[in-house]
Amino acid sequence: MNKTLYVSITLVSLVMGLMMALQFRTAGRVDSGVPYDRVQLLTTELKQLEKEYANLLIEASDLEEKVAKAEKGRPEASQAVFDELVKVRQLAGMTKLEGPGVEVNLAPIRREPEQGDNLFTVRDEDLLRVVNELRASGAEALAINGQRIISTSEIRLAGSFIDINLTRISPPYSVLAIGSADQLESGLLIKGGLVDTMRDWGVSVTVTKKPSLVIPAYNHRIHLEYAKPLKEAQ
Amino acid sequence: MKLKEYQWGIILVGLVLGLMLAMQYRSSKEINETPPVARVQTLVNEINQKREERNQLQKKVNQLREKLDKKANGQSNTTREELEALRIIAGSKAVSGTGVEVSLNDSNVALPAGQDPNLYVLHDEDVLRVLNELKAAGAEAIALNGVRLIATSEIRCIGPTILTNKNKRLPAPFIITAIGNPETLENSLYMKGGVVEQLKIWGIQVQVRKKNNLEVPQYTGPTTFEYAQAPEAE
Repeated sequence: MNKTLYVSITLVSLVMGLMMALQFRTAGRVDSGVPYDRVQLLTTELKQLEKEYANLLIEASDLEEKVAKAEKGRPEASQAVFDELVKVRQLAGMTKLEGPGVEVNLAPIRREPEQGDNLFTVRDEDLLRVVNELRASGAEALAINGQRIISTSEIRLAGSFIDINLTRISPPYSVLAIGSADQLESGLLIKGGLVDTMRDWGVSVTVTKKPSLVIPAYNHRIHLEYAKPLKEAQ
Repeated sequence: MKLKEYQWGIILVGLVLGLMLAMQYRSSKEINETPPVARVQTLVNEINQKREERNQLQKKVNQLREKLDKKANGQSNTTREELEALRIIAGSKAVSGTGVEVSLNDSNVALPAGQDPNLYVLHDEDVLRVLNELKAAGAEAIALNGVRLIATSEIRCIGPTILTNKNKRLPAPFIITAIGNPETLENSLYMKGGVVEQLKIWGIQVQVRKKNNLEVPQYTGPTTFEYAQAPEAE
């Protein structure tokens, strides 16, 4: 009698062990597998790549046209190069640009001498944040008090003034941005967003949508000393 | 029939076994049916393919640019130099040179009891300020985790990642590559009361390494404006 008992128990344990192993493996697969938001992440990445591809296509056809033109003859070549130069100048921020956008005015309001007004003045960080927020909402060109923001522009407290492009600017500050006016405005005015916070600190912020505004060109010399174009590996 | 004791045991074991089998079947079916596993594969393939295509096109664009630049060479040196410098400012050219590599990471100090852990985490503002400081110290080209930053690049924290150039998601740790004078760049960060000192208060880990040869890739976003345009001649 005992024998049957042992045999059946052995059999059952065997099957159970196998199942446990199988279960363990599938469970492991789930863990190391894909959380749902990863799919979303990959989808965004794919979208991003598709966008870049589309942009490159535009750029490539534009360049092809210019190169084709340049091969026709000397006057055409100089025209093509000039066209390219105009385009690159625009991208680099060396030209005036016009378009719809917003004007953001910042000025300190709560000045109570006995409290010291340091906390309530507009600081370089505030401007930096406003600019960052506008960039995030798709600003294509930016300027503060007539200083165009290019890729190397700093916004920095120097002494008691703010320097942009090594040029001193003074309050009140006016930030101009070209882009979708609605998007730029809502990016700043979102509840609990930047403007809300800054108003709590006692900075007066007004955001005005403009159907058309002009952003000045970068008006300093470009001097590159360290950055050298990287030779494309053939 | 009278059931013996061991038979009861076998019935119990069989019951449990049946239950487990059913569960096993259902869970393994579920795993195969969840979208992630199947979809991720296709997505990854698609992304790789698109990336390959993009890189090809990028190469073509670079070659076309070089071709056009050569035409410019035939005309005058100043035109060629201007094109080159502006391309670097606009970010459409990959560059190399001396500079610094700054790595930023969340705090590693033990959280004091009752303190807000949020204070000890790297924020977008911190990255913004480091970037701003580098620009003020004359950085000529900057990349964050290998993504070139241009005039309109925003820095935005989304969970543990940073979002820049509208759609590029960068995971921690954050490494900023800046081309410029290594000494000046380093000193500007380590300045008394400067960014590194302030970030150290919160235990944010900042490391600055001077490098002799750094590479900063080109910007891969759009090269045309949607809203901005050259103003009508006055």
